[in-house]
Amino acid sequence: MLWVIIYLFFSFILEGFMSNIFFSTLSDVSIFSTIYTIVAVVVIYPYFMNEKKYFLIVGFWGLLFDFVYTSTFPLNLLIFLLIGFIVKLLNNLLQSNVLTNNLISFLCIVFYHIFSFVILTIVEYGDYNIMLLFNIIIHSILMTLIYATVGYFIFKLIFSKFGLKQIK
Amino acid sequence: MFGKKKKAIPKKYVAIIIVILIIIILVIFSFTLRNEKKLNPVESFIRDITIYIEKIVTYPFNYLADKIDDYNKLKSVSKDNDILETSIDRIESIEAENIELRRQLEKMKEELNIEYTLSDYEYLNATVISRNIGYWYNIITIDKGSYNGVEKDMVVINSKGLIGRVIRVSTFSSDVRLITTSDTNNKISVHLTNGDYDLYGLINNYDYNGNFLEIEGISNTKDVNIGDYVYTSGLGGVFPSGILVGIVTEISTDSYDLAKIIKATPSADFTDINYVSILKRKDAK
Repeated sequence: MLWVIIYLFFSFILEGFMSNIFFSTLSDVSIFSTIYTIVAVVVIYPYFMNEKKYFLIVGFWGLLFDFVYTSTFPLNLLIFLLIGFIVKLLNNLLQSNVLTNNLISFLCIVFYHIFSFVILTIVEYGDYNIMLLFNIIIHSILMTLIYATVGYFIFKLIFSKFGLKQIK
Repeated sequence: MFGKKKKAIPKKYVAIIIVILIIIILVIFSFTLRNEKKLNPVESFIRDITIYIEKIVTYPFNYLADKIDDYNKLKSVSKDNDILETSIDRIESIEAENIELRRQLEKMKEELNIEYTLSDYEYLNATVISRNIGYWYNIITIDKGSYNGVEKDMVVINSKGLIGRVIRVSTFSSDVRLITTSDTNNKISVHLTNGDYDLYGLINNYDYNGNFLEIEGISNTKDVNIGDYVYTSGLGGVFPSGILVGIVTEISTDSYDLAKIIKATPSADFTDINYVSILKRKDAK
């Protein structure tokens, strides 16, 4: 459990760190951008036996994301919980390997952006073009795949090296 | 026989419940997303701790980036020195001009009953510590908060022009919404100076493809030239008058041929914002 918390915390801090180093505006989306916390949420799922704990952790980090980065409570709390549900669904349908891990990570990032886009457009938070949505999703691909792959192998190594079991 | 059998909810009721839930959620979102609400103590505390951790993590990288910048500047120091030397001779006359202009400004403020101009603000420098996570919000986070006297709606600028305004303040950090955000609820009032008269308009939109601000409301009977400067007008009560916003790059007319649509490139470079200044009113302690 400790490793999960450390990994999620690291991913959370990485959001701010990477956004500072590789600045994005609506007109210039960085290729090093993705939502690292969501990728981490996907990577840790196979190591949970207790799904309630998993959803609690996912909801907690969604809440933190709202408080710290976007101040849009409860938008990210809800999105993170929905993503947790999607991760559960897809993990039940697919085998657990690095390719499916990357696929699920990418799908969750796409879902995050689409859901945010829809909600923010409906409540007229801003005036967004659908091409911007595609632009952001495309720019998210590279770092999503890299971070998901690295996270998958590191977690696999840690759990096998220390003989850790699934979290109950 | 030994226990009540649970009745399954009919499917049509499930659909109604889901629709009602979606409506309730959208109502909640429309309230929490549109109102720039004050942060509660828990949010503020968590933000400040996270921001401090980020500052520690990014400090070595920012330090390295600054050193590389300094090295690049050192390479051109001799050339800059020559240019500065020619300017030194003018300093005395510029100072005298400045004193006279201040005197005239004070007199005009009295006569016209103007409360604040840019000279009544002090500049609080801040570093950008986090930028635009989640993309849709177009927000940067700076390392100054209520502890430093920052308040909501304070204007943020850099050396090149207007950046945005403070929308959320915690103890040691603040969120700044950039002027390039497509915030339809907060249009900025601007003016263009064209020789003898000022033309007033509103920033309607930001086009992220072409990197220009769209200004509307300028009468078609007035002349506007490409290269004209766009400044904040001071109307509206948030942005003081005289802050450079951008430069006119394209002029067209609306479909009714009644008003001009001006496209202006922002003067600030929004892809490279490291240091900003917050305008604090001198009497606001």
